[in-house]
Amino acid sequence: MTEELYEAIMIKFKHVYKIYEKDIKALDDISFEIKSGELVFITGPSGAGKTTILNLLYREDTPAMGTILVNNTDISHLKGSKIAKYRRSIGFVFQDFKLLFDRCVFDNIALPLEIIKANTQYIKNAVMEYIKKIGLLGKEKLNPWHLSGGEKQKVAIARALITSPSIILADEPTGNLDDFSAWEIITMLTDANKKGATVVIATHNKEIISRVGGKVIKLDKGRIV
Amino acid sequence: MRTIREVFVNFKRSGFLSLISIGTIVITIAVLGGYYLINETINHFMNKFQNKVEIVAFLNDNLSNDKIDNLITEIKGFSEVTEVIFVSKMDAYQEFAKDDEMKQILDSFEGNPFPDSIKIRLKNYARQNIEKLVKFFSNKEGVLEVQYGGKDIENFLNIINVIKFITAVAGIIFIIASILVVTSIINLTIYARRQDIYVFRMVGATETYIRAPFIMEGIIHGIIGGAIGWGVIYLIIRIISIQIQKEIGVNLLNFYLFEPHFFTIKFLIGCITSGAVLGLIGSLLSQGRIQGGY
Repeated sequence: MTEELYEAIMIKFKHVYKIYEKDIKALDDISFEIKSGELVFITGPSGAGKTTILNLLYREDTPAMGTILVNNTDISHLKGSKIAKYRRSIGFVFQDFKLLFDRCVFDNIALPLEIIKANTQYIKNAVMEYIKKIGLLGKEKLNPWHLSGGEKQKVAIARALITSPSIILADEPTGNLDDFSAWEIITMLTDANKKGATVVIATHNKEIISRVGGKVIKLDKGRIV
Repeated sequence: MRTIREVFVNFKRSGFLSLISIGTIVITIAVLGGYYLINETINHFMNKFQNKVEIVAFLNDNLSNDKIDNLITEIKGFSEVTEVIFVSKMDAYQEFAKDDEMKQILDSFEGNPFPDSIKIRLKNYARQNIEKLVKFFSNKEGVLEVQYGGKDIENFLNIINVIKFITAVAGIIFIIASILVVTSIINLTIYARRQDIYVFRMVGATETYIRAPFIMEGIIHGIIGGAIGWGVIYLIIRIISIQIQKEIGVNLLNFYLFEPHFFTIKFLIGCITSGAVLGLIGSLLSQGRIQGGY
């Protein structure tokens, strides 16, 4: 990535705490910055707080204390339809894919475009282009049940990328996949990063981190180590 | 279009539950429709009777004309009274004598057996109005007896009113039951689709986008239930009218209430609208479930 793209700060955590019941600290004074167009890995053992950070970034949850700025907006104070609009600027990839199993591949990928009420012809073209890119041409009418784990994740990533979001969050995107599929998925994410998207990947897969490189935020017991 | 598609997805997923929801609305609409028909029938008959109900006060033969005039003036003072007619014993005799058989009976009497009488017509058929006038006459000097032809009608209407009351109570119970059933079933659908709702939220869907299919689902259950409910009432009325025609030769479908144009168009629209409203209320009540944060 060029130096200019790195200049603006896209994500900023300032002394963020997340405390669950019985004083369990999921996040304990977390501060970091991610610049626009950066590729960042959040790593650490299970329970370290990786998913909590992504949930906060996705505005599924709010911090107990501290500030989270995304593109200079304090997302903790977003309400109602502003949360929905904010989420449209983010692509999210889940470990368990979170596909709609009563819709075909095409409809799953088309969902974000359908929500922003994109033109039908545009949806058709854009979705088919992505289906071609992920190598599922001919399977667009299939239900996700008929796909392998790797193919399901490719569909999930196509859904996350279809609106060309400025931020992509991925929570253990290779967790359930074999090495070959995992690498395909990581390549898709790094390709999106090369095109300018800020990509944050939560993973405990050290091999992927060492092969891809990039910034690493290492967590343990809710703290940056 | 997308909302309707989602409704069908929900129906496909939980078809049996949707049938229960529709079935409850069918029963409710059938009961409410029955109540409406009974109510309309009563009102229809009441309107017909109220112009015909009259009170007749029979007078002593020796009552002077002045006293009769005073009595008539007093009766006219009642706001419930529309018409007061004095029928002399001679008028009564001549009226009855028009019929040959009655004439023969009257000839067997010595002289004119009829007393003078006053006929009073009322504005509407209300028990308190009748009782008020009967009480007034009973205390009047020179009044032999007071009669009114509404006793049998009143007994009949009392029975009808009991049926009306029972149907109304059943209707209220079924309204509450159907709203609760629709609410519970849409709650179950929301629960079954909690992961989809989560995905919709995660890709930036608004609350309206998420909720609209569930609200539409309730309305569609209501519309289907309302239409079938109408069908059930129509079928029952047809079967009853065929039986009545067989037994006593009266065709119920000739009555205004059961005329095809009334029963097919107005009533069908009424049933469907009522069903849709029930479904809408049920689905709106279930929306808190989504707010609960699946």
